[in-house]
Amino acid sequence: MISEQLTNVFREVFDDNTITLNNQTTADQIEGWDSMSHINLIIAIEIAFGIEFTNEEIRSFNNVGEMQQCINKKL
Amino acid sequence: MINQLVENLAFACLGGQERTGLSETSAFEWIHADLSKELFSYSQVNTYSNKIANILKNLGITKGDRVSIFLQRSPELIFSFFAILKNEAVACLLFSTFGESALIDRLNDNGTSLIITKKSLLKKILKIKDALISLRTILVIDIDEHLDGFTLSLPKLLSNSPGDFKYTPMIEPDAPAFIQYTSGSTGKPKGAVHVHGAISSIEQSFREVFQIKEEEIYWCTADPAWITGLVYGIVAPMAANVRQIHFAGNFNAEHWLNCLQNEKVNVWYTAPTALRMLMQEEEGFFSKFDCSTIKRIYSVGEPLNPEVYRWAKRIFNCEVYDNFFQSETGSIMIANRPGIPVRPGSMGKPLNFIEAVILDNKMDSARPGSQGKLCFKKGWPSMFITYLNKPEVYAEKFSGNYYITGDLAVEDKDGFFWYISRSDDVINTAGHLVDPFEVESSLLEIEEINDVAVIGAPDAILHEKIVAYLCLRNNIEWSRELELKCRLKISNEISTTAVPQEYKIVSVIPKNRSGKILRRVLRAWHEGTDPGDLSTLEEQ
Repeated sequence: MISEQLTNVFREVFDDNTITLNNQTTADQIEGWDSMSHINLIIAIEIAFGIEFTNEEIRSFNNVGEMQQCINKKL
Repeated sequence: MINQLVENLAFACLGGQERTGLSETSAFEWIHADLSKELFSYSQVNTYSNKIANILKNLGITKGDRVSIFLQRSPELIFSFFAILKNEAVACLLFSTFGESALIDRLNDNGTSLIITKKSLLKKILKIKDALISLRTILVIDIDEHLDGFTLSLPKLLSNSPGDFKYTPMIEPDAPAFIQYTSGSTGKPKGAVHVHGAISSIEQSFREVFQIKEEEIYWCTADPAWITGLVYGIVAPMAANVRQIHFAGNFNAEHWLNCLQNEKVNVWYTAPTALRMLMQEEEGFFSKFDCSTIKRIYSVGEPLNPEVYRWAKRIFNCEVYDNFFQSETGSIMIANRPGIPVRPGSMGKPLNFIEAVILDNKMDSARPGSQGKLCFKKGWPSMFITYLNKPEVYAEKFSGNYYITGDLAVEDKDGFFWYISRSDDVINTAGHLVDPFEVESSLLEIEEINDVAVIGAPDAILHEKIVAYLCLRNNIEWSRELELKCRLKISNEISTTAVPQEYKIVSVIPKNRSGKILRRVLRAWHEGTDPGDLSTLEEQ
């Protein structure tokens, strides 16, 4: 369920309905996921899940799996 | 008078190696995002670009046609660039982060008849294809079959394309080679047209500034859609037979440091924003890597603050040379370089073949130490020859014998130049010039927003960040959802680099009586300083 919601957030932020995610997905595999759009993504995730990330958390994600683990802990 | 012919840029980069027996040497080493490597010889680059050149020719591309490349950094981007030049067509490299509106503006302005792109970016083109008036063909580098007669598979066409392509190595010096888009403070982006004759400035500046020795390894981190990435990441090092690497991934401190260490980079050309992003890492992070092979670091795009200069010099234990040029100048104009002691915070001194001056408001020479307009005596070989479709704007960039950069600077008594700021409203964020009007126009299309103005404000990482002042419609309250809506609108329509990082809600946007936004008032509000004379402020 979380992964489905997270996929929808990615699709909205990167304006791409074909995005599919797995735990190993990294920024280099998503078109347009750069340091600037990362901020858009974080805001969108925070709104969608009603959570807040710390600055350390925002900088620590190496892949989607780590991001999803962090979301899980906050829910 | 007949102009003496010059080498076609493609021949200057790829033609000399056969004559000198270097065709099997490395043109570049490609480091993929996962840090795996692939080596490309000059001979391979030549053959791949010949194959694509044949395809372009068969698709009707001919001299003067505009062909756009909408790809992120990739070997195919480099092959395609040379293929376009071999057909004497004109290349236009577009940032892969561009949104729909930014693409329409540029592709229609340059009359692109063919776009080279990849599957993941194709959707952006297909969404807007009906608005692209000249587009005849899309070539996609990573689909196996043609989608229709309009959207073609490059691999399929390559399988039957010969590896030889006959083209004339010499060309008129003023024949257009590539178009570099840049933002102004009003209106649409402007396409600065550059010519094949630029090669002499490019080669001379590369030698004078970088002074690369035969055994040294060079890495330019700039995106090829940026003038730095095209000129000093592709053209200059290949024309000079310099050993170089390219890294396909986005900025990632660990990956970058791995590239520097593993590839034993000696000469590293990057940007102040990148150095400031690296500065965010803890000091211990850098001790995990052995970057002792780095001998010189170069930086361009925004001013290199003395603090960042000192940090980089200490961490990488080598000299750091900042330099200055623009999309319009086509090559480096002012630079710190070996042989001239660095004054931290200064752009350095003009190159030997460049005359730089500071002019006052009457266009007279300013006194040493006085702030004025940074101008260059026109006529250097890589000077842009026009703004596409905007000759009147081009004419405004010159006064007598001088090209007016639009930047304010100071020349000290010893001939060092010091950057002050832009003289117009253009925002320099992370080395990208952003037109405030373009951002405002897009934000105004959001129904909750009644009026808007954006400014550039100092930022510790980006040099300038974009700050948006918004007047909301009645009964609309600011929210994170609305902020996200603004961010995604700009990100998807213009570019991620144009997204405002800060939003301020105000009851009115300060304007003069003719309706022009008073950005100096907004800057004063932002900095908490006196906005000065408000007598021209429109009564609200």
